[in-house]
Amino acid sequence: MTSRLSVRDLSLHFGGIQVLDSVGLAVEPDTIVGLVGPNGAGKTSLFNCISGHYRPTSGSILVDGVPTLHRPPHRMAELGLSRTFQHPALQLDASVLDNVLIGAHTRLRGGALSWALRLPFTISGERRARQRAGELLDHLGLAGVADRPAGSLAHGLHKRVELARALLSEPRLLLLDEPAGGLPHAEVEQLIETIRAIRTEFGLTIVIVEHHMGLISALTDRVVVLVQGRKLLEGTALEAQRHPLVVEAYLGRTAA
Amino acid sequence: MTTTGTPSPGATRVGPARRPASAPLRVLTVVALVAGVIAIALIPLSATPYTNYQLSVVAAFAVAILGLNIVSGYAGQISLGQSAFMGLGAYAAAFGVTHGWPVVASFLLAALLPAVVGLVVAIPAVRLRGNALATVTIILPILAVPLAKRFSDITGGSEGLNVDWMHAPAGVGLDDDQWRYYVVVAIAAVLFLLGRNIVVGRIGRAFAVVRTNEAVASAMGISAHRYKVLAFTIASFYGGAAGFLYVAVVQFASPDLPNFLVAINMLAALVIGGFASLWGSVVAGFFYVYVPVFAGAVDPSRTNIFYGAALLLVLFIVPGGVSGGVSRLVRLLVGRLFGRRPPARDDDALTDPQPITSTQQDTAVPDASPDGLRSSVGPRKEVP
Ligand SMILES: Nc1ncnc2c1ncn2[C@@H]1O[C@H](COP(=O)(O)OP(=O)(O)OP(=O)(O)O)[C@@H](O)[C@H]1O
Ligand SMILES: [Mg+2]
Repeated sequence: MTSRLSVRDLSLHFGGIQVLDSVGLAVEPDTIVGLVGPNGAGKTSLFNCISGHYRPTSGSILVDGVPTLHRPPHRMAELGLSRTFQHPALQLDASVLDNVLIGAHTRLRGGALSWALRLPFTISGERRARQRAGELLDHLGLAGVADRPAGSLAHGLHKRVELARALLSEPRLLLLDEPAGGLPHAEVEQLIETIRAIRTEFGLTIVIVEHHMGLISALTDRVVVLVQGRKLLEGTALEAQRHPLVVEAYLGRTAA
Repeated sequence: MTTTGTPSPGATRVGPARRPASAPLRVLTVVALVAGVIAIALIPLSATPYTNYQLSVVAAFAVAILGLNIVSGYAGQISLGQSAFMGLGAYAAAFGVTHGWPVVASFLLAALLPAVVGLVVAIPAVRLRGNALATVTIILPILAVPLAKRFSDITGGSEGLNVDWMHAPAGVGLDDDQWRYYVVVAIAAVLFLLGRNIVVGRIGRAFAVVRTNEAVASAMGISAHRYKVLAFTIASFYGGAAGFLYVAVVQFASPDLPNFLVAINMLAALVIGGFASLWGSVVAGFFYVYVPVFAGAVDPSRTNIFYGAALLLVLFIVPGGVSGGVSRLVRLLVGRLFGRRPPARDDDALTDPQPITSTQQDTAVPDASPDGLRSSVGPRKEVP
């Protein structure tokens, strides 16, 4: 069985800075993999490489066995990849619903002429997309704010809007960058339940970057620890948390 | 006007469309629309021929500015060349007419030729970084005027091309000015309807996300290049169609139309009318035609003063332009009358003319662009 995602020997430089150094990673279908490490370890950069936003210096990335390195980022969605961003990037003036509907882009058909003429298939497509978006908003507890401008929402909810947007594209592989970032502790429990539920419902494979160890322990099958652009170890959440080098890496960061 | 940066997304900046308040608002919109249609239909019957002429010119420019709005307001790509496409459309229409083409054929030539030119210009232009499209589009009017003068056997040179067409058919009981008004306004209305359909659905959402955040656009499977080219092509199509309407009213195509100043004034009128708003394009059409009439009656330089003052007003006091301001006011009044809360974000909407920034709320969004997808590395979140 081919891995849903396979990263081999991936290196990334920015000028003289080595951000990723021969990182390897395999994510099997229907698993949840955690990606942890101190600030600046290169977790987000690795996501950006996978989603095509950064071009790695060397190495390879395969999604369901398809090499992706020469694909522009907008052609990753068709391989079933979707992602959220560490810093939510919503259109603050547009409604929550309109933000989420952007996720339906690849699920809708027809160019400008078809939409200008309101050809029947565009109308039915739009209706389906709105219905689907409504269900997702419901699912994520956002139904009440669907018509509010995204900018009027509390910061914690932005991540959920991003999640709904990513899910509307019906991905097979989902990259979540710090989904619990900025959430109060009580809401993390709820987020864990939500991610569990969507994972089963949509048959998702998920990679999660997260500093919240409770969430990582609760959700992930495997954990990859990244420190200064290198893979320090791979194992279960418990193994990772106990590993002396990880403890040191984290303490080192706090002390610095 | 020529500053860099993404424009403020105009009328979308209004408060939340809270479900309870939106019912009376919808009724109000329908009433206003019906009243508007009746007024538009009746006005030419009693107005002077000159008023009908002016209103027809308003409709032509509103169409050109709607095109400009699609590329600049909705898709966020400032274009300084819209007049070149309107001019090309005008010459194409005049060419068709003087060669005895059927009206429909002249219209298609007038709209499609500029669209093709726009497509050809946009494909390489969007690949350049930054505000390259704006820079490239400046060249178009600057080239268009001497070209129009140079190819005088087609364009009539500096004199321009006079045409004699669009006469009221015998038996309809209308004068030429009334007939032209109805034809031009009807075509403009259809073009506005098509434009509306484009900006509200799949395509409009793609334009908006390309304007606000290209990294998100690509993550959602949207090619920024592709949609910029599309927006520019549509804008060129609308510019060309507007040129046709202009020639239908004015009976004349000349090198004065593809002028650079015309493009600048259209953009200024659009900012005043309201970016990313259909009504804004209509307001801008009126503004474009009537400001010089009022201000310039005494001294032509007053037009510029008026534009300058109106622009400052919009930039500092009513972001979203006239349409944004009016719609905010209406929502506020409807909210009061029907006992609803006023729009939640009205205050910062009034003080923040910038595009989406991190200052929208106290739990600040650290950074509008996601995750280091910028040219340089900015401040990072400190949450461990
Ligand atoms: N576009 C870029 N240009 C230059 N350097 C970059 C760029 N993006 C990331 N970096 C650098 O790469 C390193 C890793 O950054 P990255 O954002 O991937 O870390 P991270 O593990 O996601 O950290 P955090 O936990 O703080 O989010 C940092 O030193 C950062 O400054
Ligand atoms: Mg990160």
